This record gives sequence, structure tokens and C-alpha cells, in this order.
Amino acid sequence: MEQELQSLKQLALLELSQADTMDALNELRVKYLGKKGSLTSALKGMGALSAEERPKIGQIVNDIRSELETIIQTKSEGFKQADLEKKLASEKIDVTLPGRKVNVGHKHPLTVTLARIKEIFMRMGFAIAEGPEVEQDYYNFEALNLPKDHPARDMQDSFYITEEFLMRTHTSPVQVRTMQAATPNQPIRIIAPGKVYRRDYDATHSPMFHQVEGLVIDKSISFADLKGTLELFIHEIFGKDVGVRFRPSFFPFTEPSAEVDISCVMCNGGGCRVCSGTGWLEILGAGMVHPRVLEMSKFDPEQVSGFAFGMGVERIAMLLYGIDDLRLFYENDLRFLKQF
Amino acid sequence: MQAPIKWLKEYVEFSQTPEVLAEMLTMAGIPVEGISYLGQDIEKIVTGKIIEVEKHPNATKLSICKLDVGTEVLIIVTGANNIAVGNIVPVALVGAKLPSGLEIKASELRGVMSYGMLCSTAELNIDSKLLSAKEKEGIYILSEDTAVGVDIKEALGMDDVVLEFELTANRADCFSVIGLAREVAVLTGGTLKKPMIHLHETAEEKSVSLVKVSVEETSLCSRFAARVLQDVKVGPSPKWLKHRLQAVGMRSINNIVDVTNYVMLEMGQPMHAYDYNLVSKHSLTVRKAQAGEKITTLDGVKRELTSDMLVIADQVQAVGIAGVMGGLATEVTNNTQNVILEAASFNGVSIRRTSKALGLRSEASGRFERGVDTVNSIRALDRAAKLLEDMGACKVCPGIVDSYPNMVLPRQVSFIPQKVNDYLGTDISKGEMLNILRSLEFEIDTHSEGDKVVVNVPTWRNDVQYQPDICEEIARIYGYNKIPTTTPGGNILRGGQEYTQSIVDVIKTILTGAGLDEIISLSFTHPQVLDKLNIADDHVLHRAIRVLNPITDDFPILRTTLLGGVLEAIVRNLSKKNDDIKIYELGAVYLPEELPLHSLPKEPLLLCGALVGKRNELAWNQGKDNVDFYDAKGIVEVLLTGLGIHDYHVAAGDHMSLHPGKTAVFSRDGKVLATVGELHPKVADQFDIHRKVYIFEVDIEAVVDCVNLLAKYEPLPKFPAIQRDIAVVLPLAISAEQVKEAIITSGGPLLSDVRLFDVYVGEQVADGSKSLAFSLIYRDKMRTLTDEEIDVHYRNTIEHIEKTLAAKIRS
Repeated sequence: MEQELQSLKQLALLELSQADTMDALNELRVKYLGKKGSLTSALKGMGALSAEERPKIGQIVNDIRSELETIIQTKSEGFKQADLEKKLASEKIDVTLPGRKVNVGHKHPLTVTLARIKEIFMRMGFAIAEGPEVEQDYYNFEALNLPKDHPARDMQDSFYITEEFLMRTHTSPVQVRTMQAATPNQPIRIIAPGKVYRRDYDATHSPMFHQVEGLVIDKSISFADLKGTLELFIHEIFGKDVGVRFRPSFFPFTEPSAEVDISCVMCNGGGCRVCSGTGWLEILGAGMVHPRVLEMSKFDPEQVSGFAFGMGVERIAMLLYGIDDLRLFYENDLRFLKQF
Repeated sequence: MQAPIKWLKEYVEFSQTPEVLAEMLTMAGIPVEGISYLGQDIEKIVTGKIIEVEKHPNATKLSICKLDVGTEVLIIVTGANNIAVGNIVPVALVGAKLPSGLEIKASELRGVMSYGMLCSTAELNIDSKLLSAKEKEGIYILSEDTAVGVDIKEALGMDDVVLEFELTANRADCFSVIGLAREVAVLTGGTLKKPMIHLHETAEEKSVSLVKVSVEETSLCSRFAARVLQDVKVGPSPKWLKHRLQAVGMRSINNIVDVTNYVMLEMGQPMHAYDYNLVSKHSLTVRKAQAGEKITTLDGVKRELTSDMLVIADQVQAVGIAGVMGGLATEVTNNTQNVILEAASFNGVSIRRTSKALGLRSEASGRFERGVDTVNSIRALDRAAKLLEDMGACKVCPGIVDSYPNMVLPRQVSFIPQKVNDYLGTDISKGEMLNILRSLEFEIDTHSEGDKVVVNVPTWRNDVQYQPDICEEIARIYGYNKIPTTTPGGNILRGGQEYTQSIVDVIKTILTGAGLDEIISLSFTHPQVLDKLNIADDHVLHRAIRVLNPITDDFPILRTTLLGGVLEAIVRNLSKKNDDIKIYELGAVYLPEELPLHSLPKEPLLLCGALVGKRNELAWNQGKDNVDFYDAKGIVEVLLTGLGIHDYHVAAGDHMSLHPGKTAVFSRDGKVLATVGELHPKVADQFDIHRKVYIFEVDIEAVVDCVNLLAKYEPLPKFPAIQRDIAVVLPLAISAEQVKEAIITSGGPLLSDVRLFDVYVGEQVADGSKSLAFSLIYRDKMRTLTDEEIDVHYRNTIEHIEKTLAAKIRS
């Protein structure tokens, strides 16, 4: 019996070693280990054995079964692995082909720039104020200390609609409207972004452009506060390393007034075409709110003071993105718009 | 305003280079926009005297000159024919460089060696507007008193550097060399030396007995003063005077006119000289012009005046437009024997209006517009008389005739040094403040009490009126950049933006995600664009606001719709071969309540988008289909969903610019939120667009009213749903929305969702019919449903659809 089992094992081992497909392996499993398999049959014949022999032979059968099962298991895993590898190899694709495009659009560069400007000022506690683009002469000029025939009105050649109405030349009228809607002498901290209009049309002027103007009014606001606020803004938008300088200037609605320059972002102050060789770029006008402007909106210059500032959004966008022609903003050429 | 460094140095000593000085002035609010080096490109050109001229033996058009150039005598061959022995001319020596870049070499001309070149004014790059006709021709013949052998730059006063200022409107005082020199003195720590004026007044008759002046319009002329000059010898100006004027780009006319211009540039006071003998009754009056009164001005142009213009008139006629330009009739000429010199002060607004109305700007009008120092007028008269006296050009009559109806006194302004520091955020000592103000010639009044300082503002500083103006003077001299930087303290304010602004940001973000590019168009448009959009003449959108002074004929009105700008952007992009376009604009349109405008127009925010071309960007793994109506509609649906708006209604609608059969209107509670459609082929044609364009328009304000960005949470279902599909065949005219509504009406309380999943038109159904397939989802939140109970509802729905919509269930 033992002899028979050993030769059965030898045969099984031989056949298993020759099995080279999963199917062949399965057949052998049935042949030797199945319900009607050779080994199972051998066990059935154990009834004829003596009580001493039975456990011994039983042990041998189990050992052989276990050995064959291990071999089958190993071989089976090997076949599965090979199959998988073959399948994976056959599924290889060209991963360099471009991915499937998600069609995402683009916000206008002025929208993006304006959003950055707004975000910086909102963090400093500024509210965003808006006002009409068609304005009354009073709000656009008179309440800003620019009476009729003031020579400074020439600086802002306006589009008139009637004697009384015009396209606003700056967003300063929003400041006036904000002051007049507020309780006198209460603190104000706003920026007013929006479209403005002047009669100019060339590579550096558009009849319509965007401005952000700001107004801060409170008790004991100083010129140093103006400097600090604008310097903070400039460093936020152009980076910490950019140089800032304040130059005395003139605006009818502020006194003292200043132009604010930054070191040229194109040449880092060395002098280039963009900064006309000066190393500086003018980007903001600012000043302490003129007492007459405060008075006209029922604020008392003895009790409160304030500063105001204004900047062109196009100018900032041109510097941020390195855009060299203002007209591109309104030509709406997709080759331009899709860059932002 | 231009100021040569040498001229400035007459009044103040300084050692700074022009660049450093320019920087100092700019940083003190006197902006220098440019620095020009006169004669910059001229090297090795000297003055030479012609001592011999003879014909070239081998060339009829050439001459051989012998020239004394100081250090040597040169032989130069020239083609010039305006030269003669004794002439002093510019000689470019061998090795000289001309502004044109030409280098001079010794060369042989037809067998004769030539050692240099005689120069014309053009070769020296002298501005032709500074030259007389004679000077422009041939070789530049210099005046006889020119020294021989000196550098031409020195001989012509071109060895100078000119600062070009771009002054702000408030600094009228700096429109004079002395005014600028004062700033230079303050900034460099120098001392301002004003010219000494001691007149001899050698004429016998007094001015007052020779001339009468009067001011009729005292509100428009605060002073009119005059002097009389006798035995005038009109002739060329001395070289120094010519050079001064030329350095600032002004042409020399004659000694009298040049002196008036010189004093204007030096002191800021415009002046005028009249030929005394040609002024009727020797009397000058400042009055308003008669309507239609005519005058020929010095530039030879005959001008018609209006009754609000100010003139200087003699007994017969206007002899000058006040503050703008003198009249030709009383011009100083070579025949003039006696002269009336005028220095006046006119109202800036009046001068500005007149010069604008006449389109005539002059150095004088520019100064009057900004305001001149009335107190200075007499000094200017004296200065001019003194210069002419010194030149020996006239005898000056004693005294001045002065009509001074509005006496100007120095303004007093008071300030408190501590308040100045508070205002500036600085810690400048009172002493330093006073020093700055004194250096600017502000007088500290002895009446100053306690903290308060009272100053007498110089009469030339009309811009200083309030304490903040004093702050600015102190700050700009102290240095803006020395002022510390702080941030505003005090009240904490809530920043942020208005609701609508926030929603607009959300809308733009949704549209970006939906693949649309944002455009911005000009707010101006043309009525023809409205016509092209099929907007009827009497339609409210044709009632646009007209601009009085449009920048071009293309933009006379304000837009009433965004669609025009969007279509123009499409046209422009198609012309640039950008064939696949998905764009939108979000902005205001301008709708007047009435025309002409009596109140502010409405400026509602609208959104307008357009789709053209391929749905997807060209790619190997994307469909190549073109966009259609449902892409545009889908964008509006995504937008509304993104804004939390679900309960809207969609129906076929009308829009003058859209295809009548392909227009949908989104509404909620009867209010239109959006319109979607295909661009009307006629409109497309009128814009010359030969593509299908799909449009959507959204009323932002209506949408903002419905926005709900805070959806309420709904618990997830605990029990399974039952789904039933239904396919119906029905006439094409019945809309999917109608079927859906019929399903919902008849679906019973358990119907929780209805989805259209197929639309079919074709062979499988009869002509004029279509098949629609819907999924009906039934659900109860509290329990599991049974097929039997759903069957009842399902059959109800089928019956209802068949009955009400002439539909057949497709099996």
C-alpha cells in the first residue's frame, strides 16, 4: 500500500511538472485530489488495513495530498500571475497623448486685477462702494472743489451728455455720494472701483478705463497713515521688494497731494523704456482730503481728517502682466483673453 | 515751462548737476520731465572769419575760402554762395562731429585740399522755428560782433542745459525763471538774488501826461499799468538776449518784443508793447468786446469776438485781446518811435474761456489762466524799461500809469504747529517749520499768539489758502519720503462688498467653469448697431443717451444692450481666425427715464453671452460637434442652479434679435430672468456673421433677487425608490415641458422625480411626431413601496397623457 502510494505520488509529481496550462493543472487536481481522484480512492481502501497501519497510511496520504496541493497552488498562482502580466502588457496605452480637456474659461485680466486690489483693501477693512457711471456735474466736479471753469477740469476732458450730466471722469463722485449718505463725521473706509470716461484715444489712453479710488475718514487721520496704507497695498500687489516713493503733486480735491511711484517692475529701477529711463513708475495719485471737500459734504475738518487715493486698474494690470498696449483690454481678442 | 541752468544761476548759486537738481525739484513738487543738453552732438565746431574767397579753378559751383579760426588759417572748399569776405561763420574742423553723425575729414575736392566744412543752421540742428528766413538759407552767417575762434556752442549760447518742467496747475509762480530759482535756492540752501532795478528815466515827459489807461471791467481786470518809452530804436536784440530766448525755444523778433518776452519768462508777468503813435488818443481801456467786433491779431489772423471777451481798446478800436494776443494794428515795427509798455492782471477764467473759444493759446494766456502776481506788475514794467534803457534802445519816461481797481494784499493764513504735525504724522519742530516758510518768503506775522502762527503768504502764492496748504509747503520741503508710514488707527470698520457685487463674482466664477471667456466692450455704440440688432426705431432700446462730444463718429450713444458689443467681439475674433468662441460680458447698460436727460439714467447690470463654433476645443479625444441651442440653454441652467435658483419656468418666447422658433425665456413669478436663443439669421447677416450664433441674456438684478446660496439640507432617503420608464409618441408641436408637467400633475404624491432621457424623431415614428422617453421615480420617505401601488399611479399618468396630449404610449 505504501509502495502504491509512493508511485502514485511520483506519477503525480511528474504529471504536475509537465502541466503548463491552468486547464491541465485543474485536470490533474481532479485526477488526484478530486472526489473520485486517485488519492481519494486510496483513502477509501484504508478500511482493509490493520488498526496499526491505518494511522500510518492515513498520515502518508495526507502528506502526499498536502504536498500536491501546495504544488498545485503554487503553479496556479504562477499561471494567474503570467496571465495578468500578459493582460496588462496587452493593455498598454500611449500615456503621452494629451489628457481630455476640461473646457474652462477665463476671467478678463481687468476683473482678475480688480479682484486682487479689492481683496487687499477688504482685508484692511475697506468696504466696496459703487455709483453711477452717468454722473451729475455736481458730484463729479463741484463737490470735489472743481468749480466750473477750473483749469484742472482740462486735465479730465469729459464726455458731456447735457450741461448737467456727463460720463464720470473718475470714481471720486462715489466718495462724495458715500460721504453725503453717511452721518457727518462718522468714520468711512471705502474703495470705489468702476468704469470712468475721458476724451482720449491712443496707445496709452482709452476713452473708457477702470479706476479704483479710496477714501478714509476718521478722527486724526494723517498723511503718514496715507503713506502706510498705500505702501502696504503696493507691497501686497507688487511684492515686498518694490521701492515706493511719494512726490508732492496737485489735485484740487486733496491737500497736501502726492503722486506715488514704484520702482520700475520691468527693470527693477535701472531705467528702461517702460519707465522712460527714470527707474520709477507713477501708479497712484493721493492726498489728504481738502477741507472744502469735507465741508461740502457736511464733514467738519476741525473734527475729522481723511485721505483719498486713486489708481488706474489698466495701469496696474499692464505692470503685473507685462502688457504693453492698453487697447488690448477692449479689443476682446481671444488670443489675448485666454492668456489670463 | 523751460529753464536753462545758466539763467537759473543768475539768481541763485548752486553746484548740483542738472540731474541732481532735477531730482530735488521733482521730489519737492516741481516736476522736471526732461533735461536737454543744447548742442549735445556738436563737437569741434568753431567760429571762423572768412578772409579770402576765390573761385575753384576746376569747378564753377565751388569756392575756396581762407578762414581765420583763431589758432590758424584754414583752406576750406565750399559750395555755398551766400558768403563774403568778413563774414563770421561756423566752421567744422577736421575731426568735428555734426549732429547728423557726419565726421569731418580733410579731403581733396577737385584737386584742392579742404580742411573742414562751413555749416548751415540745419547742419547745426538749430530748430527752424527759431530762425528768420534768411538764417535758414545757405551757410549760417553769424552776427558781426561774434568772437572768432570760439566754440560755436558758446557763440550761440548752446553751451547750456535746459530743464523742462511739467508744472502742476497750482504753481503759477513757477512759470517764471525767478520762481523756479526760488525753489532751487530753498532746496539747495542758496540765496535768491532778484535783479536790481534802478531806472534813469531820462525822457522829459512823464508817462502820466502821455498816456491814459482805464479799466471798465474791474471784475475781470484787477490791474492795468503802463509806461511810455521814447526815442525807441527798434532793432535786433543783443546776443545774450537772443540766446536766452532761443534756449527756451522762443524766436527773437526785435529788441522791444524780446524784452517783453524775456521779462515774462523771468518774472512770470506777461507784457505787451504798443506803438504809441498808432494808439488813438494814446488811451487804453480794458472793456468787453462788442458782439461781432473784429480784430487782426499779431499772427495775422482776423478774428471775430463775442461780447464776453475782454479787449484792450483805444478810442477807435480793439488793439488787443486781453491776456491772449495783441493786435496787428499797433504792433511795434522798425518804424516805431515811441512805445507803450503794458503789464496787467486779468481774470484767469475769462482768459481761459476766450482763448478756448478762439482756439488761441499763448504764453501769456497760459500764465493768466493760472493767475499772475498782481503786485509784481510794476516791477515787471520797471525791469523791462531798465533792460531797454541799458541796451540804449530808448529813453524811459518817468513814472507809471497805473489803474489798480482791486488792490491785492498779502493773504494771512494761520496754523498751529502741533496740528501740522498731527496732520502729517510727523514730529517737525516749530523752528524748522518757520525756517521752511521763511525760505519760501512767507513772512511770520508778529501777531502770532500762543500756539498759533500767522503768516503773510507771498502774493505770488495764490494757491496757499488753508492750514493744509501750509502743511504741504512744510511737507514738500521737509521731504515727503522722510514722513513716517503708519496705518490708520481708531475705529474698526467692517470691510467687504455689497451683496450684488458678491453675486456678480459668483456668476463670473460659474461662467468661467462653464468654459466662457469674459470680454469687456466700450460703453459707447452707434444707433446703426441697434438697427442691425433688429431693434425697431420706436423700441425703448432705441432711446439711447447721446453724448454731446463723442470721441469719434463711431460712438455717439451709450449702449442700451450688451448684445451689440458681444456680436462685434465675435466679428473681430472670426476675422482673426478665432473660430470657436464662447464669451460673455457682464456690465451696465444705460437706460434714460426721459430724453433729454433730466435725471440719472437707470444703469441695470446685464449679462450677455454667445457661443459659436465647436463645442469642445480641438483635440484627438473630443467630439467635433458644433454648439447648438442646448449648449446656450445649458449654461443658463448651470448658472441658475449654481445660484440656487430651481423654481423657474421655461417657455418658448420672443426676442427681436433671435430666431423666432429657437428662443426660450426663463422666468420666475412672471419675471424674466433670462432669454436664450439662436441669433436671428437676419441679424447675423447684418453683422456679416456667417455662422450660427447662440445667445443668452440674463437680467442680473432679477437673478440676484432669487439667489439662494444656502440650500437647506434634505436627509438622505432610507427606503428604496421604484423606477418606471414611459415612452410617448406625440405631435412635434407639443413641448417636452408640457409632457413633463402632465406627468407631474398626474403622477400622484409618491412621484419624486421625472427625467427626460430620450428624444427621437425619425423612421420609427410617424411624420410630424416624436417620441419622448421619461424615467419616473417614486419614493416614500417612510417606507418601502410596492409595485402594485405604483402601478396605479403609473396607469393614471399614462391615461392622462394619452387623453390630454394626443399621445400614444410606445411599447
